[in-house]
Amino acid sequence: MIDAFFSGFGMAMRVDTFLMVSVGLFSGMLIGALPGFTTLMAMAILLPVSFFMDPLVGIPFLLGIYKGGIFGGSIPAILISMPGTGAAIATTFDGYKLTQKGQSRKALDMALFSSIFGDTSSDIFTLMMIFPIALVVMQFGPPELAAILFLSLVIIAATSGRNPLKGLLMMGIGLWFSLIGTDPIGGVERFTFGLFELKSGIPLLPMLIGVFALPEIVSVFGDRSSHLRAATKILGERLKFSEFRRCFRTICRSTLIGTGIGVVPGLGQVVAAMMGYTAAKNASKTPEKFGTGELEGVAAAESANNAVNGPTMVPLLTLGIPGDNVTAILLGAFIAQGLRPGPDLFENQADMVFAILIVMVLANVLFLIIGYLSIPFFARIVTIKSSLLIPMVIMFAVAGSYVFRSDVFDILMLAFFGIFGVMARAAKFDVMPMVMGFILGEPLEYAFGQTMAMADGNLLAFALTERQGMLAIVIATPLCGYALWRRMNKTLKPSTADQFS
Amino acid sequence: MIKSGIVKSVLLSAALSLGLAGAMAGAVQAADYPEKPITLVIPLGAGGSHDLNARVFTSVIPQYINQAMIVQLSPGASGQKGTNEVATADADGYKLLFTHNYIDQLQQHVENLPYDPLADFVTVARINFAPIAIVVKGDSPYKSAEELFAAAKENPGKVRMAHSGNWGALFVPAAQLMQANEIDLNLVPYKGGGPAMQALLSGDADMTMGFPSTLSALLDSGEVRVLATAGDKRIYPDVPSFSELGVGGDVGFMHRVVLAPKGIPQDRLDVLRAAFLKLNEDKTYQRLMSRLGENIDYMSGDDYEKLRADQAEAYKSLVAKITGG
Repeated sequence: MIDAFFSGFGMAMRVDTFLMVSVGLFSGMLIGALPGFTTLMAMAILLPVSFFMDPLVGIPFLLGIYKGGIFGGSIPAILISMPGTGAAIATTFDGYKLTQKGQSRKALDMALFSSIFGDTSSDIFTLMMIFPIALVVMQFGPPELAAILFLSLVIIAATSGRNPLKGLLMMGIGLWFSLIGTDPIGGVERFTFGLFELKSGIPLLPMLIGVFALPEIVSVFGDRSSHLRAATKILGERLKFSEFRRCFRTICRSTLIGTGIGVVPGLGQVVAAMMGYTAAKNASKTPEKFGTGELEGVAAAESANNAVNGPTMVPLLTLGIPGDNVTAILLGAFIAQGLRPGPDLFENQADMVFAILIVMVLANVLFLIIGYLSIPFFARIVTIKSSLLIPMVIMFAVAGSYVFRSDVFDILMLAFFGIFGVMARAAKFDVMPMVMGFILGEPLEYAFGQTMAMADGNLLAFALTERQGMLAIVIATPLCGYALWRRMNKTLKPSTADQFS
Repeated sequence: MIKSGIVKSVLLSAALSLGLAGAMAGAVQAADYPEKPITLVIPLGAGGSHDLNARVFTSVIPQYINQAMIVQLSPGASGQKGTNEVATADADGYKLLFTHNYIDQLQQHVENLPYDPLADFVTVARINFAPIAIVVKGDSPYKSAEELFAAAKENPGKVRMAHSGNWGALFVPAAQLMQANEIDLNLVPYKGGGPAMQALLSGDADMTMGFPSTLSALLDSGEVRVLATAGDKRIYPDVPSFSELGVGGDVGFMHRVVLAPKGIPQDRLDVLRAAFLKLNEDKTYQRLMSRLGENIDYMSGDDYEKLRADQAEAYKSLVAKITGG
């Protein structure tokens, strides 16, 4: 193993490898930053390019796109409050507020550093613990996933804000939105009103752009002394080391949470970012600052969603099973190169695997340099005059919604969710629980349906005899939710806490 | 200065997105058809076997049609979204569908579709097909398919079969086996073949199905065992075929086919069919497909049309049987 590690290290030290990783990182970042273009699309389109490259050039190239793309998604989230993926939602909360304060550069720097820290630590952890992780992954099936998703929803509802009833109502609306379309298991149409366009459900991206970005645009028109105008020409300072150090505990905590969530198949970056953010808010002495432009909030979300990536590679590398679409594309790239991920890969081609994993870690160093140098270039966007910037943001919103599925119907959806977002803001309802309910509703329903199918209808007997783990999580959920809710209320607003308890 | 920097950055990003779309664009030549890139709609998600297969042949076929073929993924509503998109497109040969037999012919018996597969589409070519294999875990008590079927007969609904979604590529063969052997399996859905395989390995499921191209690594290490494979011929020397088990016919094959909207001018259809025929002989294509572990079993559009009509009938009775209708 040690021999293979060192020969892998030697194999990885190639100029063309690092050159293509850099190309991948930069193009991934650009594509990720364009709303509507996803990392997944970029990887799928550029996959054939890797077929014609050497394995140690082609695969790192794709990995570069992947890493760059995830960070790229946080750029519009911070600058124009437009999360390109679910994973960037939690970054929007504080990132955009920082931009409004004229600190966009600081926010982007923090996103970059915490992303890279989270990613690197989880990669190294995965590299060292790959076989134990593979065993743990096998302990999680649909029943456990359903229980953990339910727990996540309860945590989000309990900690969402000052008024838990409003949060619960919004979450209920989000869950209802997730039901619209074809039932994922039985194939029955629900709430589609006979519209074919609604059969495949509500698309995520128009919803995200609609509820997060459009209300910001509207608020510029409503408010003459607007923040967007005020921010004009302020590029802001770079991140100071002392600020990074202040957030370091949070980054470490989020990295741990993200890595843990990455081990559970099917949870993913969205849950990781939300849980990292919630945990940081909960641990903070000043939770009321979260959501008003707190650097720690950006750090918490970004380190958590990147830390997911290491463990999600484990089923691919140890068993050759892709857990999601990104790993499915990587599997295709591996196979086309004559590398067969699976139990034998470490025995037959260990040096190659180590070489790829080493490039993965070293790519982070490159990314640090490339990201740091290009942030000023992105941060300039907010210095554009608002008479130019706002039409541009609207263009990105519409184009981003359309390009995701190339469906004109999605622009109607964008308008609908834009109005929804504006109304929710006017009534002082937070849209976050709605979006989380929508995102987590579908996998929760699916996992619950799978559990019912496995249990053959007899859920209680199934839980007692086969799935004590699921049972334990379900029992712990209300206790956990109640404890968090109490704590949140104490620190946020002591007076209302008494009212509800 | 600053402003021009912004304009540059916007232009750069626009150029990049255009570059992506045109990345596979070949040289434009003055032929009548095709005179612009052809869009290939896949009604399935990224990273699946259709996506991978399409990435291979769309990167080779431009030299035979002198135009790019651009992959557009339109997943949703069990494949109906992308299919409908092509069904309603102009029949000018610039929008094609890359699908498989279950989406193509089975959906119509399960749901009300806004299109009629046989009346709205015509086959350009079958790219290849994948025979399904019945898979159990390496330490499973079931040593043969007969033992497995016997266990399912004895305990109806107790043997858990992990599949990749209702009426999908693993569900339909399982349903066909249930119909042929008069057994009752507990069909548990997963989000794709990968998660279904993971369920088998973690012990959540007793059996699943898989395509040989995705199984090799797990087979060699003994993590899984194959009990039977689809078709008349054996794929593995010591594993019986479906025919030997008394399940004959077009059962357990996923045909990957390129369809065009019906009404496409005959000369354009001929151009496309000829291109796919030539593609079949292409060395790069063959090399890339064999690396993916896929076969290159081309079938001409005319031949496949006959198969489609048979599938429509077979799936109709299958759905009636399974849903008890």
